[in-house]
Amino acid sequence: MQATVRVRRHNTEAPAVHGKLQEFKFDVSENTTVLDALIKVREEIDGTLGVRCSCRASICGSCGMRVNGQARLACKTKLTDVSRDGAPITVEPMGNMPVIKDLITDMGIFWGKIRQVEPYLQPAGPEPKGEYIASDESMAHLVGVMNCIMCGACVSDCTALEVDSTFIGPAALAKAYRFVADPRDGATQDRLGTLNERSGIWDCTRCYYCVQVCPKGVAPMERIMKMRDLAMEAGYNNTSGSRHTKSFAKSVKKGGLLNETMLAVESTGWLNVPGQMAQAPIGIKSLLKGKLPNPLGHRIKARKHIRRVFDKVEGESK
Amino acid sequence: MKYAWWPGCVARGATPELYTSTVAVLERLGIEVEEMHDFSCTGAGVLQERNRKLGDTLNVRNFAIAEKQGLPIMTICSTCQGVMSQAHQRVMRDPEYLKEINGVIAEEGLAYRGTTVIKHLLWILVEEFGVEELKKRFVRDLSCLSVAPFYGCYLLRPSDALGYDRVPARETSLDRVIEATGARLIDFAGKRKCCGFPILLINQDNSLKMVANHTGAAKDDGADAMVTPCPLCHLNLDGYQDKAARKNRPDGRKIDLPIIHFPQLIGLAMGIEPDELGFKKHMVSTRDMLARLKEQAAAVR
Amino acid sequence: MFEHDLLIIGAGLAGMRAAVEAVRRGANAAMITKVHPVRSHSNAAQGGINAALTDRGDDWTDHALDTIKGSDYLADQDAVEVMCSEAGQALIELEHMGVIFSRDDQGKLGTRRFGGQKAARTFFVGAITGQAMLHVLYEQVIKANVRVYEEWFVTSLIVEDGVCHGAVALDIRNGELHTIRAKAVVMAAGGAGRVYEPSTNALICTGDGYALAYRAGAPLMDMEMVQYHPTTLASNGVLISEAARGEGAYLLNSKGDRFMLKYAPEYKELASRDVVSRSEQTEINEGRGVNGCVLLDMRHLGREVVEKKLGYLQEVAHDFVGIDLAETPIPIRPGMHYMMGGIKTDVNGATPLPGLYAAGEVANVSVHGGNRLGANSLLDTVVFGRRSAVAGIEYGTSVRNMPKNEDQRKADQARIRQLMDRPKGPRPAAVRRELAETMHNGVAVFRDQKGMEAAAARVREIRSEYEKVSIDDKGKVFNTDLVFALELGYVIDTAEAICVSALTRKESRGAHYRTDMPRRDDANWLKHILVRAGDDGEAPKVDFSPVSITRWQPVERKY
Repeated sequence: MQATVRVRRHNTEAPAVHGKLQEFKFDVSENTTVLDALIKVREEIDGTLGVRCSCRASICGSCGMRVNGQARLACKTKLTDVSRDGAPITVEPMGNMPVIKDLITDMGIFWGKIRQVEPYLQPAGPEPKGEYIASDESMAHLVGVMNCIMCGACVSDCTALEVDSTFIGPAALAKAYRFVADPRDGATQDRLGTLNERSGIWDCTRCYYCVQVCPKGVAPMERIMKMRDLAMEAGYNNTSGSRHTKSFAKSVKKGGLLNETMLAVESTGWLNVPGQMAQAPIGIKSLLKGKLPNPLGHRIKARKHIRRVFDKVEGESK
Repeated sequence: MKYAWWPGCVARGATPELYTSTVAVLERLGIEVEEMHDFSCTGAGVLQERNRKLGDTLNVRNFAIAEKQGLPIMTICSTCQGVMSQAHQRVMRDPEYLKEINGVIAEEGLAYRGTTVIKHLLWILVEEFGVEELKKRFVRDLSCLSVAPFYGCYLLRPSDALGYDRVPARETSLDRVIEATGARLIDFAGKRKCCGFPILLINQDNSLKMVANHTGAAKDDGADAMVTPCPLCHLNLDGYQDKAARKNRPDGRKIDLPIIHFPQLIGLAMGIEPDELGFKKHMVSTRDMLARLKEQAAAVR
Repeated sequence: MFEHDLLIIGAGLAGMRAAVEAVRRGANAAMITKVHPVRSHSNAAQGGINAALTDRGDDWTDHALDTIKGSDYLADQDAVEVMCSEAGQALIELEHMGVIFSRDDQGKLGTRRFGGQKAARTFFVGAITGQAMLHVLYEQVIKANVRVYEEWFVTSLIVEDGVCHGAVALDIRNGELHTIRAKAVVMAAGGAGRVYEPSTNALICTGDGYALAYRAGAPLMDMEMVQYHPTTLASNGVLISEAARGEGAYLLNSKGDRFMLKYAPEYKELASRDVVSRSEQTEINEGRGVNGCVLLDMRHLGREVVEKKLGYLQEVAHDFVGIDLAETPIPIRPGMHYMMGGIKTDVNGATPLPGLYAAGEVANVSVHGGNRLGANSLLDTVVFGRRSAVAGIEYGTSVRNMPKNEDQRKADQARIRQLMDRPKGPRPAAVRRELAETMHNGVAVFRDQKGMEAAAARVREIRSEYEKVSIDDKGKVFNTDLVFALELGYVIDTAEAICVSALTRKESRGAHYRTDMPRRDDANWLKHILVRAGDDGEAPKVDFSPVSITRWQPVERKY
């Protein structure tokens, strides 16, 4: 069967193709991957095509790129999976990073963020003679996040990074989690403290893009959410994020439904006068339109069951 | 088909026009629903963040209530849909986990067996009602309008929990409904991205940038309105649009892009009066958009 | 002006271990790598790392004997003693760095069985041990703030008056050529899988290190010892780890028979890799294969074992073959995997060329001899990576004067210019593929005089064709076309050394199995074969060196 692949070229040394979407057509089989196609272009049609690749087996992380607008690992993406009935597919470099040439991006930003989280084990106390004792469960749990091959797909499509380049980002935060969850690491408290700050765990907008595009099932967003929980447990409670979560839980526990007005007030912080004043206008506007939710919240009849669920499940986890 | 309708927390609070427009549309389409007054909030991902099992238990309780009545669940909020679908996937993949959760809700006389189907009104209309059937009910001419879709993250990702592998056509469901109404589809870059609502109260600068980017892009591409199946997206894209524009657009110029709820679009196309659909309640005025429609209708006559 | 005490070429496990050691000792060290460190092919090692821990009642001399037997007695026993006796310390060091090794129910490091060994002494992380180790080493590189020339491609070693003083390298991002001087160089550029097709190796494994050292005058030792891994995918050569067999998987022929019971009654599926590959190939050649493959069956292991301990294999099976390993046996066949041969070094990584050290797959100490045991490669990299750094730094303290000229860089510049200016000729990829298929046909699992001679002759022809190879890309920014063309030169040099060495060894030993000379001949051939580049168009020079025997007299190898 025939495949049509459109590649976004970026080559300041070749003005004729620079910026253009160049189309290549060739015969492929059921199992041909996007990477196979690009290598074919590079080897037989146009040797100037720039693409990073190495292992072809989704372990080296070199071939991250956007296919039909979404970040993927080219060696793991079958053409038939992304092209229904032979429709042309578009291949572009990863997002949120400067482009060096064609599909090759400058991952300096990516690595900078990784370095930012002090990505090395920091054991506390003297080194044992043999190995640190650690349960198989704790090590097996880390395999999930250690599966990360640093391909950049999550960073490419992160919607928070798109608007805020200071955000530490999904890959680095997942890496940070790897140490927070490692029983041998002695810096957990400090790590959580730093991540709790501006541009850290609370800046994730929970859009699930990183979970969706990760080729290795690392689920960075889930790790970030877990660290939010751990940060609160560790006593870091002075963020609007932690106040938001607490307020949300409180109103659902109390009445079975969310109390949006209280949520807005409590997340900001009762004593945060400038913050409260900043949201006053919308509060007033809502009131005037008849849609300011009742500050006392809504209550469902079955609320005692909800309270019981809270008590029972939260009691279990203690 | 009868459904167990979960309007969600916000539809009866901060976006009451979603509730009223849904009622108006369901009535006219003859879709029977029973509102689930015993359902709790789904957790919206926030409760899950704090304690996943807690969130899952609350949702399984909701599933069990619907199952007891033998009804599939209908949601009108992308976030409710996403959270419920994820919870459902988790318990279906892990029978031990479901057993534990059933242990908690047993006291209320509930036990979830796994048969509840959860679908957003958008999917119900497209997949069960059918686009062709819908078209027959569309009597108002919307061809003078250009409409941009905004799906809402939780309706799109993670795709395996939301059935996209089984029903690939779901990917473009909102696009196709817009086209079915006769309006011009504005297929802009951000339609599948994040509106910023989850960080509105946490990092408002970033949240507003997202609002400005997406409403601005759609407007620049020629949209007269943006339609969304998620009231949380609506809250951000509508309620904070002016502030977002002031802070992020060149010269702080307003964007003025009305954000309409999915049932409001259906209702408009079906010829229901705008007042009944709650258009007066929006922060970004829908007056100009509605005036154009009126003009269009008058011109034809 | 780039100048260092220690320049490490390659940032895989051996290179990074050397770099971390060097910086710990206060040396001004740097790594050059043509890809980002975590893209190095070490990340594809799956199964595990061997070590005999005395606190478990294991004995490193057992490990040593298993290794020496596995090598078909070609390994240098003093080197094997060093590696096996240091293994325990190397393993604990890795764990202290943070590697998330699997544990037993006491919370201590857990093991699995691996080929060619009676005891279970392979420590592992699921089926991603190499990746897990590589990433942790990179974390240590970040911590130590090691200087990395990232995406720089080495075009030559600098040798003056018979001493190595550094390297010339191309900054791939901007096409600029630079001289990097160093008191000592550690070559850790990995293997040469692209010399063969199919191969489990990545596209970057083009034998750079062998060729650079060869051209600089260092000898390559036992290059004929090319390991074919028994279990690789037919479609694309991707590796299915020995760990599967370590966990108990069976090899079946078309009749559903566990044929390894016949070829290796004691070790069965866990015999040494050369024995297993030959057994499989025999079954296939004699008509008991399934579409040119045999079957690897994991069904009886149970889903939990497959998912938990062999998770990455499930991913590979799903992505590339569309099967579930817990339900269906997977077709596999032998594929080229590893170079036992390499730059001759002593137990401290020193090559006969002063100033040049080598470690990892590119080196031949020799610890693997004629056949490498699974999970010994990861061990080799960290033990000798560390030792090379120590020795290189020590040597460097005695280096007084370093040449200041730019002669090598200018020569390389001219060579590149010439390559860029050629009229349209054959494409590098097509030439490489032909060479690689030639090598697979002539110098693979079963060899004979005719086949090897034909391969050698074709390689010589291809070398002439190489002079006409042209490249499309004339730019300076990220010119991978140029890099491929240069790599092809390395592939050809490596192939030539393999052919010469293979034709020289007139016996069968380890991975070098000749159907026309099937028996091992210790009396005449218990020795290493050294190949040095000929001067200016002359044929390569062949030499020999003795095998070090300390405690274990060579005997017939039976599994």
